[in-house]
Amino acid sequence: MNQAEIRKLIPAVRVAINAKHRKFSNPKGPEGRLTMLRKTVTELVKLERVELNYQRGDEARGYAERLIAMAIKHGDRHIPTMEMANYWLTEKQLVHKLFKVLAVRYKDHTESYTKLHKAPNIYPGFYRERVVLELKGNPFPPLEKKNSSHNWIHNILLEEAHQDYIRKKLKEGERSN
Amino acid sequence: MANLSGRRQSPLYHVIYIEREREREREREREHRIILQEVQMKGPYHKKALTNTAVKQKRSQLFTQEAQRQAALITDIEKIEVQYDGQPENCTLIMNKGMSTPYNCAQHINQMMMERSVLAEVDGQVWDMHRPLEDNCTLRFLHFRQSDPYYANKAFWRSASVMLGAVLESSFKDNLYVELCSYPSPNVRSGSFVYDVDLKIPEWEPSKEELRTLSGEMVKLSLAAHRFERLEVDASVALKMFADNRFKTQQIPQMAAQSTSGNTVVVYRIGDFVEVSRGPMMAGTSHLGKVSIVAVHPIETNEAQLFRVQGVALPRGFLLNHFAYGVLEKRAQQMNSGRLPLNISSTEPQTQASTL
Repeated sequence: MNQAEIRKLIPAVRVAINAKHRKFSNPKGPEGRLTMLRKTVTELVKLERVELNYQRGDEARGYAERLIAMAIKHGDRHIPTMEMANYWLTEKQLVHKLFKVLAVRYKDHTESYTKLHKAPNIYPGFYRERVVLELKGNPFPPLEKKNSSHNWIHNILLEEAHQDYIRKKLKEGERSN
Repeated sequence: MANLSGRRQSPLYHVIYIEREREREREREREHRIILQEVQMKGPYHKKALTNTAVKQKRSQLFTQEAQRQAALITDIEKIEVQYDGQPENCTLIMNKGMSTPYNCAQHINQMMMERSVLAEVDGQVWDMHRPLEDNCTLRFLHFRQSDPYYANKAFWRSASVMLGAVLESSFKDNLYVELCSYPSPNVRSGSFVYDVDLKIPEWEPSKEELRTLSGEMVKLSLAAHRFERLEVDASVALKMFADNRFKTQQIPQMAAQSTSGNTVVVYRIGDFVEVSRGPMMAGTSHLGKVSIVAVHPIETNEAQLFRVQGVALPRGFLLNHFAYGVLEKRAQQMNSGRLPLNISSTEPQTQASTL
């Protein structure tokens, strides 16, 4: 089976993923790790915005992305997808949310379905990097204020220089005509 | 007296000697008269020629005296409440009335606010960072990286003009008495900041090295990190400060008439350079980053030959690659279309390019 066919079978994850998974040492071994990640993915689908340590947030993000991508691609009539949803979402009413809300919301998206923000460390505290993981298009107020640099002084100067250049070219064109 | 040499002396020897002496004396007097005439043609013999250094010192001294006089007027320290609105959190500061400035408030908040803030907004009014607060107020800080830094940009351009004035006044030799005229209202979109100046030279086409020297002086002024000290003074004091500048003596009464109090003007000082302007200015000269003086254009007026000196600058911390900056420099070389200073001796009501 060549790669083109694999791509047809599994939808591509739209975020960068580490080549190696994080092990997250756990007394219950790999199973414990998955239980932990399932908890996070379920929280994310339920609350749409969660604050986590970076490592856990980044790892869970890939699984959530894959789950949503499968739900969009195959819909709720596809047995393997339903099995996946059943596994990753520990609260069963969220399975309905996945297919009826999220799959519909992200049907025409061309980018990733989730967003990872850096969160501040609170002093004094543990010096682990904190992040906020959220589903795009959630109903909460935006976390990052968009600060446009359009009116910063160098951009004004460059824009005016550009306008000048266009005017000059137009004049030259008129003259040659 | 015995004649030891044995040579016979004429009896008239002494008379002849005295005659010759008198003749020499007369000659010397004649010479003196000619010199005196020359001096009188040039100007009063006893008066020293004006130099920019002396004038600058005089202005700075007057500024200090006036600042001390005004500070002495405040005898009781009253407290005011300043509601700060912004990063890292809103807070209330108890400050001194008529003494504390927005800069002092920033010192209480944090270092970044202190270094980054260009202007303050007091009760919605744009306020200099070093202008004392007058009453209970709300306070915000403005800087260059807001989504619309209109006032900060404008203050930056205006301050760059003033700094250019300071450089022009101090960079020439003392035998040229440089008189600063004015600069048009700051307009970033014009691509260059400007100062119109009377250099007392009929013609000047600066070489690349000369322009680079002026740019270097601007950088030095920026590195000196002077504050823009602000002082509101009576027009008479301002006239005393600027008695040696024929342009400013004309502008000051007009500016005083336009002021809210009707008889005061605002003067700013950076280092020992004093300038009359309505402001507001940025907090200090250290906000000026990359800067170059790019062109000098002659302007004809009916009394003096003025020069329009132009430059372009970016605030500190704004990085631009040399090609893009070169584009800006090239554009700044074009004659700035800002209002020209008036014909100095015209009697008709003028539209003066006042120092805004």
